[in-house]
Amino acid sequence: MAKIELCNITKKFGDVVALSDVSLTVEDNEFFVLFGPAGAGKTTLLKTIAGAEFPEKGLVKIGGQIVNHVEPKDRNVSMVFENYALYPNLSVYDNIASPMRSRLYRKDEAYIKDAVDRVTKMMKINHLLDRKPSQLSNGQRQRVALGRCLVRDPNVFLMDEPLAHLDAKLRHFMRGELKEMQTSINSTTIYVTHDYMEAMSLADRIAVLNKGKIVQIGTAQEMYYTPCNEFVASLFGEPEINLIPAVMKTEGGTLYLRMLGQEIDLYPEEDTIDELTAAGTGDIHIGLRGNDIRFAFEKPGDDWFEGTVYANEPIGNKVIMTVDTGDCKVALTCPNDTVAKLDQKVYIRPNMKNALYFHGATKEFITRNNKARYTGKKN
Amino acid sequence: MIEGKQKGIKGILEPVLRNLGLTLFAMFALFPLIWMVLCSFKSDAQMYNTVFVFDPTLDNYQAVLVGTDYFKAFFQNLVVAGGAVLVTIIAGVPCAYALARYNFRKKEDVAFQILSFKFAPEIMVILPVFLIFQKIGLYDTYLGLIWVYQLITMPLVIWVVRGYFEDISVEVEQAAQLDGYAWYEIFFKTLVPLIKPGLVSSALLAFIFAWNSFTFPLILSGFKIQTITITALRYIASDTVHYGQVAVASTIAVLPEVIVALFIQKHLVRGLSFGAVKG
Repeated sequence: MAKIELCNITKKFGDVVALSDVSLTVEDNEFFVLFGPAGAGKTTLLKTIAGAEFPEKGLVKIGGQIVNHVEPKDRNVSMVFENYALYPNLSVYDNIASPMRSRLYRKDEAYIKDAVDRVTKMMKINHLLDRKPSQLSNGQRQRVALGRCLVRDPNVFLMDEPLAHLDAKLRHFMRGELKEMQTSINSTTIYVTHDYMEAMSLADRIAVLNKGKIVQIGTAQEMYYTPCNEFVASLFGEPEINLIPAVMKTEGGTLYLRMLGQEIDLYPEEDTIDELTAAGTGDIHIGLRGNDIRFAFEKPGDDWFEGTVYANEPIGNKVIMTVDTGDCKVALTCPNDTVAKLDQKVYIRPNMKNALYFHGATKEFITRNNKARYTGKKN
Repeated sequence: MIEGKQKGIKGILEPVLRNLGLTLFAMFALFPLIWMVLCSFKSDAQMYNTVFVFDPTLDNYQAVLVGTDYFKAFFQNLVVAGGAVLVTIIAGVPCAYALARYNFRKKEDVAFQILSFKFAPEIMVILPVFLIFQKIGLYDTYLGLIWVYQLITMPLVIWVVRGYFEDISVEVEQAAQLDGYAWYEIFFKTLVPLIKPGLVSSALLAFIFAWNSFTFPLILSGFKIQTITITALRYIASDTVHYGQVAVASTIAVLPEVIVALFIQKHLVRGLSFGAVKG
């Protein structure tokens, strides 16, 4: 296992910049997740480490060695490709055995049999060993690809959405297996996904990529509680975080916020006031997660915002209610026994303890209550 | 009830009609071959006044095969056509790979240029080629014929195999690289098995085209090297045409093609259409 370093990587395809000045370090034995929307450059970044793509600028280091001019086969990296990249002419067994039969990583047949047995049992594909990839479902193919990757003992595992095509139950199970494997064999893993739950549950650290640039690197907790801008905030969490425009004013030494076009003063927590003042703008976006907004159908008091029920979606363990407040729509999570009629009056009140404050113009994170608690420690 | 009966009639009629149609087409397609074989057993005297009933004779076979250089021509044809296909595979497969995988300027123009060799009538280019071959000493040599046969064989193989390469995702090659294989191992162990159906069928078709080629060997050879298509001409004399002997020469000449085509007919259709359909 080894430490992976990327220094100022730039990669272009024609005029399209896939990666622009990307630098990151993945520590030895770390489970590192690359997260971002489609086309962010996640796959390109993986292929750059694998050596399948060559960066125009920058250095790739594996275990301290610069490998820019090392052939992919000599880098000893193992990769799961998004489109599986199985050998169509070989059986499942031979596909998984393939890396152990090459001249570089040759093992004897008895060892191969044991190793294939081990991973296919883990992937629950040990009854398919004689099939060709064309005779498998997408979920099975993906597990074969994952098996071919895990059967080795490489410097680093590179996984490009390895669970994307599995059904929900199996995905959940495999997520657990990967996490367990990670702790038991101490592997460096770089994992690409666009599923925030996968990212948060697996990662030691997450890097959010957008348009070829790294937006933020941090633990799952940091991403969720102290996102560096509105883009990162909106990537994590379901329903998507509410970003409500608000006006910040100071009157008689008291700082307050008004939002949703209603005459109700919101007072930020004490420890955020200095930084909010220092932001130097009255145009603030308040980020509120669905479960940080309380609601009631009878008006509990004058400081509650008024709105109407716009949509009500039960999703099993909770109900997501969208409230139309005239100015904008707010999504909140409710207990799953909540029954609401459409267009019914509803009253909401944000929990300012968990509010995130963003600069209205730059969309950058300003502060939140008790910030140190979420950013203080790593891992 | 009536409906059921109609269906019954339709159910019987359909396969009958289908088989009738297929039989008619088979007769249409095979008749020239049958006629050729029949003619090869007819004596010159019975050539014009009999159809199916005649006294079969082996005289034609004796005249063509015994004590002549027919088999020499047969062998020379094999060398020229086989050599042409071999060169095509060695040069054409890497060419197809490059056209499928790499992006370079004017790539499509180059690909089309290669295909366009098949458009030009052979008779149009034959005179300049003849003059050049005379000058550089390629006239009437194996090398010269094999070279010029590339016009026939190369475009076919390149275009079919290119389609196959395009169907293989780049990631498969990258996966093989990461598995620790060198480029030549990837090529022979991973890529060749995947392009094999296309390569085999297009190479065999190319072989048949090369085998049948007439214009090139007619003009560019004839003394030291004589292909079988040219040899068959010999029985058309100035005063009389020995149709029986021409038929014998042709019958023997098409034998390898018919045998090969029968063996690979399944792969031939699939191999040539597979890449295109998936496109």
